[in-house]
Formats: sequence, structure tokens, C-alpha cells
Amino acid sequence: MYEGQALYHPKGWWTRYVFSQDHKVIALQYTCVALAIGLTGMFLSLLMRMQLGFPGLFESIDAGNYYQDVTMHGMIMVIYLLTALFLGGFGNYLIPLMLGSRDMAFPFVNMLSFWVYFLSVIILVCSFFVESGPTGAGWTLYPPQSILPGTPGADGAGILLMLGSLAVFIIAFTMGGLNYITTVLQSRAKGMNMMRMPLIIWCLFLATFLGLLAFPALLVGAIMLIFDRVLETSFFMPEIFKGGEVLNYGGGSPVLFQHLFWFFGHPEVYIIALPAFGIISELISCHARKNIFGYNMMVWALIAIAGIAFIVWAHHMYVAGMNPYLGFFFATTTLIIAVPTAIKVYNWVITLWNANIKMTVPMLYCLAFLITFLIGGLTGLFLGNVAVDVPLSDTYFVVGHFHMVMAVSPVLALYGGLYHWFPSVTGRMLDDRLGKIHFWITFVGTYLIYFPMHYIGFLGVPRRYYSNEQYDFIPQSVNDLNQFITICALIVGAAQFILLYNFVVSAVRGKEAGSNPWGACTLEWQTLESPPGHGNWGDKLPVVYRWPYDYGLPGATDDFVPQNVPDEQIT
Amino acid sequence: MAFVIVATIIVIGTVLWNAVTPWWFTPLASNWGSLDQTIIISLWVTGVAFVLVSGFIIYCVYKFRYREGHKSEYEPENTKLELWLTVITTIGVVVLLAPGLIAWNDYVALPDEGIEVEGVGQQWVWSYRFPGEDGVYGNTSGRLFSSKNTFGLDPNDPNSLDDILIRSAEVHLPINENVIMQLRSKDVLHDFYIPQFRAKMDLVPGQHTNLWFEPTLLGTYEVACAEYCGTGHYAMRGLITVDTKEDFQTWLDQQPTFAQTLNEGVEGSGKQIAQTLGCVACHSDNGVNGIGPTWKDSFGSTRELASGEIVTVDEAYIKESVVNPIAKIASGYAPIMPAYATLSDEELDAIADYIKTLSN
Amino acid sequence: MGLTHGQVFVYTLMTVISILFLFVTNAYLFRMNFEDWRSVPIPSLLWVNTGSLVLASAGMAWAINGAKKSDLQTIKVGLAIGGLFAIVFVSGQTWAWQQLTTSGFFIAANPANTFFYLITALHALHVLGGMAAWFYVTLKTFKQDTSILQPESIGLLGTYWHYMLLVWVMLFGLLLLT
Repeated sequence: MYEGQALYHPKGWWTRYVFSQDHKVIALQYTCVALAIGLTGMFLSLLMRMQLGFPGLFESIDAGNYYQDVTMHGMIMVIYLLTALFLGGFGNYLIPLMLGSRDMAFPFVNMLSFWVYFLSVIILVCSFFVESGPTGAGWTLYPPQSILPGTPGADGAGILLMLGSLAVFIIAFTMGGLNYITTVLQSRAKGMNMMRMPLIIWCLFLATFLGLLAFPALLVGAIMLIFDRVLETSFFMPEIFKGGEVLNYGGGSPVLFQHLFWFFGHPEVYIIALPAFGIISELISCHARKNIFGYNMMVWALIAIAGIAFIVWAHHMYVAGMNPYLGFFFATTTLIIAVPTAIKVYNWVITLWNANIKMTVPMLYCLAFLITFLIGGLTGLFLGNVAVDVPLSDTYFVVGHFHMVMAVSPVLALYGGLYHWFPSVTGRMLDDRLGKIHFWITFVGTYLIYFPMHYIGFLGVPRRYYSNEQYDFIPQSVNDLNQFITICALIVGAAQFILLYNFVVSAVRGKEAGSNPWGACTLEWQTLESPPGHGNWGDKLPVVYRWPYDYGLPGATDDFVPQNVPDEQIT
Repeated sequence: MAFVIVATIIVIGTVLWNAVTPWWFTPLASNWGSLDQTIIISLWVTGVAFVLVSGFIIYCVYKFRYREGHKSEYEPENTKLELWLTVITTIGVVVLLAPGLIAWNDYVALPDEGIEVEGVGQQWVWSYRFPGEDGVYGNTSGRLFSSKNTFGLDPNDPNSLDDILIRSAEVHLPINENVIMQLRSKDVLHDFYIPQFRAKMDLVPGQHTNLWFEPTLLGTYEVACAEYCGTGHYAMRGLITVDTKEDFQTWLDQQPTFAQTLNEGVEGSGKQIAQTLGCVACHSDNGVNGIGPTWKDSFGSTRELASGEIVTVDEAYIKESVVNPIAKIASGYAPIMPAYATLSDEELDAIADYIKTLSN
Repeated sequence: MGLTHGQVFVYTLMTVISILFLFVTNAYLFRMNFEDWRSVPIPSLLWVNTGSLVLASAGMAWAINGAKKSDLQTIKVGLAIGGLFAIVFVSGQTWAWQQLTTSGFFIAANPANTFFYLITALHALHVLGGMAAWFYVTLKTFKQDTSILQPESIGLLGTYWHYMLLVWVMLFGLLLLT
């Protein structure tokens, strides 16, 4: 908010709870919708696993349905759950609070961004109910197959609803993104220069920057794909012989779509990873009661990652038929981006050295994040190395890699964040025992699901296969493994309801948290009321005197000093 | 403490797994051993990194667990340490990248000498073409495709008449010779992948792509499509038999040239049409139901439709189902068959006749 | 940083929109080199439309001037001209599409045609988006709202108008020269 801007006060039930302009309410709205659609995505993955683990058990899962499940699962999880939850949920809640501001720079636009996001979810869900069913083109939606019969949803409304929903989502994201950029640049509390911002704010800021520059590529690709499908233009459609006839297309380039898609798609994975990194930085330092190690390098590493993220995209296209000499360039940039990423991992880990580590549920999630992100990141080095990608691309090695690095580790970070900030949002603690049970099942379960996939990838088992029956090179033991993985997936899936149960029960009857149960330094815990009231800070905005990581500050009695405590007031 | 124990088990398990895993590379049958070697180097480097970093985490969790009244060490920066770590990581990255780029350099440089063969992909079958005696591929054009000319060859191009056409998913190749593949798609993206050769490359409609390898082991190897191409993607299986040079030549001599196929009549061509239009991807001739019902013993049988109606599989039903499959979908099957609306009566008769021959 | 909230918002928005048009231009330049490309004859109406957009920008500049002098009358006139000629521009563009289709340049017939319609349509959509903001600002002006925001809002609206003109000039140039 700017100097002199009046805080918007809701006038009635609708403007207080539904069309709220309070960033905290909007954050909750994003979180609830994202979790709901995420559960749907999880359910779809369980359907896929039933086919892979117990083929033929459910006759209704035929090849068409299977590919619809695959596609919708992927798109829902990447865009509608993870992007929306990290940026719309965590971003909206934390940015004003951690910066010491009363609200976002443009609360009205913020409110709009949620409702436009909600609209995009509705459009997406509609595709389940149209005659063609949802699109089954794979989350990457590659033409020509994505708009041609032979792929589910292609010759009906399925693909169009998907593309339309994405376009609407991009509008929502742009609105939200402009808000975040403006708020971070303009609305920091007095004394909070950029290098005193919590790392999660840096992460959210850079993730937003990535999104604002990357989503337009997807929008252009989606519009052109809609044109090709509806108006029979040929942006991406070459000459095609299908169903015994030569179709009306010609001259287009399928590889062009891939360039546009992955120019968006690669930054997208960092849009998800960066906020997860941010959560870990906050949680690990707070729960280890130690300052984060190497704040400056952490910021530079983030900036380097954000910059390099734009020049690695074609590592998704090594065998796509583009000029093979591009492989040299993209392999190099891809392996270079490993360096700043590794630095971040080292810094988190060194934060644990000589620390005073409390094994709380959020800390458990941080540690699990580190182990699984190590696996996911290291396997990325295999795939990024262009020649190694030849035998491994489009196999289960890729499936194992991207789930580890996008689904397992960011979701572990996300859960850690939910446990950590739940007391701020509700004023109560989540139940610790239930939290630990949920943690262990999720951590060990997902490791057991995705780790073995890398090895059937080495064997050469291709991804996006409805069934492996026909192939002699795939032994029966792979089917046994699929059964095992399915059973683990069912257990892990069921365990997520422990978290939901914990949310509901603790929100009502959880232990009262007090204003700063974890002893954190950042501003969101230093509000007058807990949970923070409308306007966050009462009459006086906070003033910041130090960086956010004064844990274990020598000379202080407590093992932490919040950001808004001046030197004179340290006990 | 639970974490220390579980994490230690996970780390040790992860490392040991590499020694006991039943799923590993298929036996190498081509010259691309350099790719396997690069993977092994990568496993070692990443394995060491994983053990070191995880081990450090576990140690820290154990040694620096919370003690009441204790405070952690206050250490915001250590630039020297960070610089060293950056250097070590960069070295690690170079150790991975160097062999990889060298191998890639070999992979993209098509050899001058070798057997040339074209792989053609369509939903959901493979077919192949050799350039024939003159060693030159005939010109093709997308506008020339038809069920009789499934390679889209230009009959007026003198180079095309001697092209040898393999109108099935099975091809033979000679051992110990470079195979230089040209890849072409008739409809959507596909990918030609042979696990034992470690080689793959996408087929992109509208352009050519290339792939090369040298088979080094006699045997039969499966081709698995490795780029999602629609509902039949998982069923798009091909077969490469690596023969001795003599056996390969014997096999090749038995295959028709384009000129010979131009002279084939329509009679007996139902089987060919079924192959070239991709029917065989979903409809088997051996009694096993797949994506679509098997054709064996189907003619004259009764069949229940998804609508509940009972029909007899006769000529009329077959022809209708080819040009408008949605009209009568068999019960228990997904409604995903593409419509072949523009086939001629001759072609439809040929297909129906062929299906008839598969039943008694 | 010395910028106001509104300025950060609008400048970032303009960056994002620029990226969008950059991608479309990139795809256009890539596709142009294929042998099936047949350039579209540019309807002379497009020159008139360009003139409309110039007048629209002039109107907004006038409004900005009025805002600096707190002259409500000038502001109203300027805004009216700015909005009117923006609408004239969009209408002119749709008329140009009609002209092209009646002379047989259908959208799917040739990639050059498709790009012509896509590029002009995307630009026109963004002009219409600007009209939404124009509507909001004009409404407040006509309600005699003299809050501290007004000069800044009008300034930013004008910036966006000039930006739309600049983007159009570049796209028009692209279409003309190829």
C-alpha cells in the first residue's frame, strides 16, 4: 500500500468473506481451492496407478481414460495446485506480513486475481463433463496429436476447455504477479532494505518475475493451438495423412510449439521450486535456532537460477528433431544451473552445523526435503547431459526425476510450511503426533514410490504407456514393481487425509499457539494480534533494525531477536 | 533420533540398491557403449555427492540436536568456504559434462558410410524403406499419400521405383555395419527407440530427422515408440532383426520394390491395407483382443454393442465401422477408433474380404 | 526506488505484454521463411487506423496536460478524444478484417494471412483492455473526483496509450516490410 492509501474496510458479509480484499483471506481462498483441485489430481493419479499396478482389474479404465487421467493429473498438479498454492497461497499471506505492510499494493486487483483463478479451475473442471471428456494429450499438449482425433478430447471440447482455462489462469497469474512485484519493491517497512528481506520473499519475488516473463510464451502457444484447432490454421500443423486422407493442414512446425511450451515450461518448474526453497530457508533456520548460512550467496544464487532458467529450456527437446548442435549449448547451460542450486543446498546443510536443532514437524519436513531434493536434483544431471538423455528420455527415469524434484520435495516443503504457519493463520497449533505420522508415511512412502522408477528407466521402460504387456524386454518383475508402487501410492494417498483431519480438528480444538510459538524472527509473528487482524499492524507500522536471521545472536538472552527489535532493546 | 535411523537406512539402501537392482540396462547390442559409460560416471559422481551431503545432514542432526539453554553458533557468512564449494561443484559438473558432450558429438555426426534405411511412423505402426539399387531415396510428398501409396512416393521420380518397401513393423538389418536412419512421420510426433541400441530420435511430421547406430549383436530387438502419439502409443511396437550380412541380403531380396507394388491388384490387398493404414495396431489376427476386437473368427459372429444392441459381423457392419466407427462401438471397447471416411469401395471390399479369410 | 505503485504496476505490465508480442513476432519471422508464405496486401484502411491511434494518443497527451494544470475541462476533453479514437481504431481494424475476407484472404488459407489476423487481433484486444481502465478513470473524472490519485492515473493511462501506439507501429512495420 502506498503512503496515505486508505485501508479498505469490508462493509458486509460478501465483501468480508467472499470478495475480500484482505490478502490473508485471499490467501486462504487460494489455498482451499488449490488443495481441493489437488486432491482431484491425486485421485486421478491413483486411477493411473490402478491400471499400472493391477491391469484389467478396473475394466472401465481403458486406454482413452488412462491418458485423460495422465494429462489432467499433470496439468492440475503443476499449474492449478503447486503454482497457485505457492504463489497465491503462501505468497499472498506472507508477502505483506513479512514486509511489514498492511496489505498488497493493489488489494482490489488481488481479489480479482483469486476469482479469475477460480474461474480457470471451473473451466478446467467443466472439461470432465463434456461429451469428449477432458483432453488426453499429455500435460505438454504437443500438436499435432493434441488436436487430432486419436487423442481423447481432441475432436471435442476437451482440448479447447483446457487451453481456455490456461489462458484465464495466465490472466489471473499476471494480475497477482504485478501485485507482488509492486508490493515487494514499494511496500517494505522502514529499515527493510532488499538485503534484509526474508529469503522466502526473494524467492516469491523472483518466482513471480519468472512467471510474468514465461507465461506469455504459453499464452501465445495456446492461442495459436486454438487457432489451429478451431480455424484449421497451420501454425504447428504440417502435412498430415490420417484416417486414409490427407488433412487440410500444411507447412506448420510441431517443434515451434515445443519451443514456446518449454520456454514457459522450464521457468515454470522454478516458479514451483523457488518458493519451496524459500520455505526451507525460513523453516530450517527457525527450527535449528541458527541463522541461515550465507544469506548473500543465497540471494545471488537465486538471481543466477532465475536468470539461467531462461536459457535451458531445450533440454526438454534434445531428441525432438531440433538442430542437434543446440544440444551442446543447452546441455552446458543446464549443467551450469546445477552450481547455484548446489550452493543453496550446501548453505541449508551448513546451517545445521553447530546449530541447536529442534526436531519439530517442520524441521522433519526440511530434512526430508533435503534428502529428496538431492535425489531429484542429482538425477537431473543425468538428463541434462544431452548424450545421457538419449537412452533415458521418455522413460520412467524422467518420471522418477520430475516427481522427486517437483512433487515430492516441494510438497514436503509445502507441508512443512503449512505446519509452520498454521499457528499464524489460526492461532492454534496443529496436532504434533498426527503431524509426525503424516510426515513419516508421506516421506518414506513417496521415496519408495519414485526411487525405483529410475531403475526401470535404466531398463528402458517408456513413460506414458497404458500397458507393458506386449514388450519382451520388459520382464515380469517390472509388473511386480508396479504393483508394489501402486500399493504404496494408495497408502500415501490415504495418509493425506490425516493432514486434512488435522487441519479441521486443530483449527477448532488445537492447542492455543500464542503470538510466536516457534520463536521466529520474521515480522509475520510480531503482529499485535494473533492471528493478525485486518490491516495487520494496528496503528503503527513496524520498523526493521536487523536481518531476519538473528538466531543465536551472541549477547542476547533469548536465542532469537525479532527483526523489529532495535539494539537498545535486546535483553 | 528416528530421523537419524531412518535417513541412514535410506542412504545406505539407496547406495546398496545399485548393486542388487534387478532392473538395469538391457544388454548392449550396438556401438553406443559410450552412453552407458557416461551414465556409470554420472552414477559415481552423483552417488558420492549424495552420500557426502546426506551423511553430513544426518551427522548434524545427531550431533547438534536441541539442548535447552544452549545456543547455536552465529555464523552468517564464510565466503572462503562457499568459494571452495563452488569450485568443487563446478569441477564435478565438468567431469559429468565432458564425456557427455564427447559422446553427443559422435551421436550427431552421421557417418559417411553405411546402410541407409528410412523409418516411417504413423498412428500406430512402423514401416520402413530402403533406397534400393540406385542408393537414392525417391522423392516423397505428403499430398501423394493414399492407402495404395502409403509411403507417399512420387511414381514419376526415377529414383523411387527401385525403393524397397517394408510394409510391416518388422525389419532386418546387417550386423557390424553402420545403419544410417532417416525418420519420417505421416501424422503426429513419434519416437523410434530401441532400448538395446540405446538410440532414439523423434519422428516429426513435415521434416526429416536422423539417427545412426551400428548393431553389434545378432538377435531380435523391439522398437518402442517413445513420444506420446495418441491412444495407441503403447501398442506401437516394431521389431528389428539383426542378421549376418548374407541373411540380411537374402531377406532384402524378398521384399517388393515400389515399382512392384504399383502393379499389385486390389485382390488380396486387404491385408496390405490393414497394415498400411494402421488397423493392425488395434485389431489382431491371432484371437487376442487389444485396443479393438480381434479379427480372427469375427466374421459371421454376433456381437454386442455398447448400446446393448446385438449385431452380426457381416460385410455391411464392417464397412460401416471403417468409415464411421462411432456408429456401432462394440461393448467393452473405448470409442477411439479414427474414421477412415475416404476409402474407396474397392478398398472397403478388400478389407472385408480379408477379415472374412480370418474366420472359418 | 522513486517510482509510485501505479508506475511499477504499469511498467511491469508493459514488459509482460512486450514479451507476448516478442514471441508472436519471433514466430512470424520464423514462419516467414517457409516457401508457402504469400504476403498479405495491406489494406490502406490500416493507415487510417494508425492515424486514429495517433489521435487517441494526442487526446491522452492533452488530458495529461490538463491534469498537470488541474484543469478539469481539458482533462475531460482529452479523455473523451483518447477513448473515442481508440474505439475508432478497433472498429477500423475489424472493418479491415472484413475487407480482407471478402477479397478472399481467409484466415486459414495461408500462414501469412493467419499471422495478420492473429497479430492485429492480439493488439486490438490489448487496446480494449486499456479501455476498461479508461472507463474507470473517466468515470471518476466525470464524478468530479479530485483525489490525489487522478493526475497519476491519467498519466499512467496516457503512458499505456502511447505504448499501444508504439506496439502498433512496430507490428504495422513488421507487416508492411515482409
